[in-house]
Amino acid sequence: MKIKKLLTTYIPVLLIVLFAIGPYFWTFLSSITPEKDLYTVDFRFFPTHPTFNNYTRLFTKIHFARNIMDSLIVAVSTALIGLLITIPASYSFSRFRFKGRNIMLMQFLGINMFPIMLLIIPLFIIMKNLHLMDTHFALIIAYSTMAIPFSIWMLTSFFNSIPKELDQAALIDGCSNIQAMIRVTIPIALPGIVSTGIYIFITGWNEFLYAAILTNSAVRTIPVALQNMIGEYQIEWGLLTAGGIVSALPVIILFFFIQRHLISGMTAGAVKG
Amino acid sequence: MKKRSGSFPYILITPALAITILIIFIPMFRTFTYSLTNYILWKPAERGFIGLQNYRQAFSDPILLLSLKNTVIWIVVIIAGQFLLGLSTAMLLNRDFIGRGIARSLILIPWVTPSVITALMWRWMYDGNYGVINEILVRLGILDVYFPFLASSSAALWAIMLALLWQGFPFFAVMILAGLQAIPNELYEAAEVDGAGNLVKFFRITLPMLKPVILTTILLRTIWVANSLDIIFIMTGGGPGYSTYTLPLYSYIRAYKGFDFGYSSVIAILLTIFLIVFIAGYIKSILKEGEK
Amino acid sequence: MKKIGLVLLCLVIAGTTFAKGASEPEGAQNVTFWYHFDDPETALNPLIEKFEVENPGITINAERVAWDVYNQKLLTSVAGGNPPDVAQVKLWWQPQLVEMKALLPLDSYIAAWDGKDDVFDKIWDLTKYSDGNQYYMPLQMVILYLYYRVDMFEELGLEVPKTREEFLKAAKALTRDTDGDGNIDVYGFGIRGARGGHDWWGTFVLSSGAKFFDANGNSGLTTPEAIAANQWYIDLYRVHGVSPPTTPADGFKEIIANMISGRTAMTIHHLGSSTKLEEALGDKISAAPVPRGTEGYWTSFGDEENAIFAVSDVPDAAFKWTSFLATAENNAVWQKSSGQVSVNKSNATAGGNRFLKATTDSADFAGVLPANPGTAEFVESLWPALMQQAFLGEITSKDMMQAIADHFAK
Repeated sequence: MKIKKLLTTYIPVLLIVLFAIGPYFWTFLSSITPEKDLYTVDFRFFPTHPTFNNYTRLFTKIHFARNIMDSLIVAVSTALIGLLITIPASYSFSRFRFKGRNIMLMQFLGINMFPIMLLIIPLFIIMKNLHLMDTHFALIIAYSTMAIPFSIWMLTSFFNSIPKELDQAALIDGCSNIQAMIRVTIPIALPGIVSTGIYIFITGWNEFLYAAILTNSAVRTIPVALQNMIGEYQIEWGLLTAGGIVSALPVIILFFFIQRHLISGMTAGAVKG
Repeated sequence: MKKRSGSFPYILITPALAITILIIFIPMFRTFTYSLTNYILWKPAERGFIGLQNYRQAFSDPILLLSLKNTVIWIVVIIAGQFLLGLSTAMLLNRDFIGRGIARSLILIPWVTPSVITALMWRWMYDGNYGVINEILVRLGILDVYFPFLASSSAALWAIMLALLWQGFPFFAVMILAGLQAIPNELYEAAEVDGAGNLVKFFRITLPMLKPVILTTILLRTIWVANSLDIIFIMTGGGPGYSTYTLPLYSYIRAYKGFDFGYSSVIAILLTIFLIVFIAGYIKSILKEGEK
Repeated sequence: MKKIGLVLLCLVIAGTTFAKGASEPEGAQNVTFWYHFDDPETALNPLIEKFEVENPGITINAERVAWDVYNQKLLTSVAGGNPPDVAQVKLWWQPQLVEMKALLPLDSYIAAWDGKDDVFDKIWDLTKYSDGNQYYMPLQMVILYLYYRVDMFEELGLEVPKTREEFLKAAKALTRDTDGDGNIDVYGFGIRGARGGHDWWGTFVLSSGAKFFDANGNSGLTTPEAIAANQWYIDLYRVHGVSPPTTPADGFKEIIANMISGRTAMTIHHLGSSTKLEEALGDKISAAPVPRGTEGYWTSFGDEENAIFAVSDVPDAAFKWTSFLATAENNAVWQKSSGQVSVNKSNATAGGNRFLKATTDSADFAGVLPANPGTAEFVESLWPALMQQAFLGEITSKDMMQAIADHFAK
């Protein structure tokens, strides 16, 4: 039995984890290697003179901690606002049949298909007129809106996979529509809500183009800070790789604490609610 | 479930609808009107209505055709790869084993690494002079000498697609993992009583129960992958030649390197139409799924 | 879960800036300045502090913008009606910016500025726009030259090439298998085949009969000489194989990496990479002007200027800042960060190291791309795509030159 588990679980999991962290680990090795040692004719897997100098520079000279903070503020707010707007809408799409439902669902899908980079100039003008240029709020509005179409579809499908008999039972018990949604459906859909929240969070965490155009020095998210290390004639390779390593860490740690809610499932959710 | 709930469903939708109309729909409509003008950003004086001229130009544009072909390969290969790997990952991570929380967090790394780093890192790993992928392939005896992956018009697109597979499979894993939680345990217990094996349980219970989530994730991911361009842009910039041009990359280059927003909008609109056609049948089946 | 949510929420509210706090003292002039530097550790603060002390009442709000989106952000901000007061700019953006009526002509300001005579005359010539106005204030310059490995040249008894033919001979001799395993280990010349490589191309093609525009304003790219010159350049890679197999995808990172590792024996670049190369190679690296083509010399003059935007409401203060940066003492400070060359005559030192010497020796024939609105797109996307196709044998030299000529004819 143990051998079977080793073969069917541990080894496949290990392979997938290795695939996932391989390039990341390689980035890490690159970040602790002095740049000129990277370009040698004889190949070395591990650096002969490892140094953490790039990390020191990252936090003392570049103020990367501030960039992490800016990214956290933007990504967390985007996820919260995005979910707040999306949950009711998705619940409605999943639980009710009303006039215009399909058209509206298709509308959300349609705008998802259009390349958003072409919306930058109109958005720039909107933000300028609202005096929101170079604020966190500009990015939060832009990102949560960008995430809405996607999240609505995602959450609607999660709600759809929850038996409707459950909230019907609640209605029969005398709950109002709103109570049925908050007390019954949402707790059961928590894994779906959390994973959609993670999606919105990561979208905000990684987005570059809007951040580069809509903000300047008052708000500088991680992708923009990293891009600033690529110059016209030079790439600051050491800082860039160190920055890449550091910028994935907060999310990984955050996720480590949140992932438990991905397994709450039927029973746990129902009890909690 | 037919139910008259008056205005309640509309109230729930209003905030989402209002903000998307304001921030996306109106700018999108504007972009649509650009496609009928010769809107070149730095020629404001000459801007005017030109009818369908941009569209006519598009239909005889060999780069557009090549981009379309690449976009189809791009979507099909990446989505199939990401989905299969993501599904396997989710099934594995749903099992009980020591270190599950850590494994679940670690597989998220590709997804949370900023695209600029992902692109530069893969570029560095593919490097034709110092790249680790080349070194490993040479040591394994698969290659005799280092191969310039990104300088080859036949290999470059595939090389980038592998990077995108890496970046995107955790998304499928997380979404499917969440979907797995909504499957009531009683179903499996009942099946076990009937003596069903793992394979039977997977095809009879897991897949059918996951269907709504799988259909939606594939649909949404198709749209996302079809539109993604940052990794290509940094890894090859569309090169060598035009061999890694996709429709969104072409649209981006026309808009922000040529500043020709008229033509760029045409490409974007054609991409949208292509996507709608590409997934039309698919959407139908999802909407049906929701009706049940 | 709720706790995490609550903590995050507090964090967010504490840190969010909802709107820009616009609290400026009455009468103060705030100049917004966009710039880009390659080295992210450098700061403008000392220069800004000095300026603000010398010019009470003016504050400089400097914004560092990532190079990759710099041009895009600048044009977006102009189109959106909210450009900075002053921005660092490149010469090949000028036609588009002027066409958009975005720039303030500076002629009257410059006429009254007593520092103007200390800026090299050649820079004033190169930056003057074709409509006769001067929109750009010089900031820094850089000239491309040939880097070569002294030790490899000595080993093979080669002279530093002065002409195209000598160059090809040297490059072929330097391309060799050093360890006898049947694979080539060193390549003679590192060609930049990806975006930005037009400067390498120009050195050999624009010096040998190709011209963007001839005396009559017609394209000079499709003449037999021009096509032959382009073919000669393509052959460096395709026929003679003196550049590594990775050439079509190589950017500056790869070019410099290949010099550091000894993978290539020559390349073209500028002063900005000399520190890194010297640190890795010491005396083994040296520099000389680029070789002569069939009709003369051509090397790229890499420029940076400042421009003031027409909608700026503080043009006088903005000019003070740009002229401050173009003044010898301050310009020298700027170059310390940029690693490039001052625009001021009084900063020119007679001696200097071998890299600076290669730069000044090349000054007479350094050229720029045509002041044409099509140049930006040529640089950013057209040239790389065509060059790579030509290197891979997908199009001919003639196809490539014709496509460039067609682009500029639009």
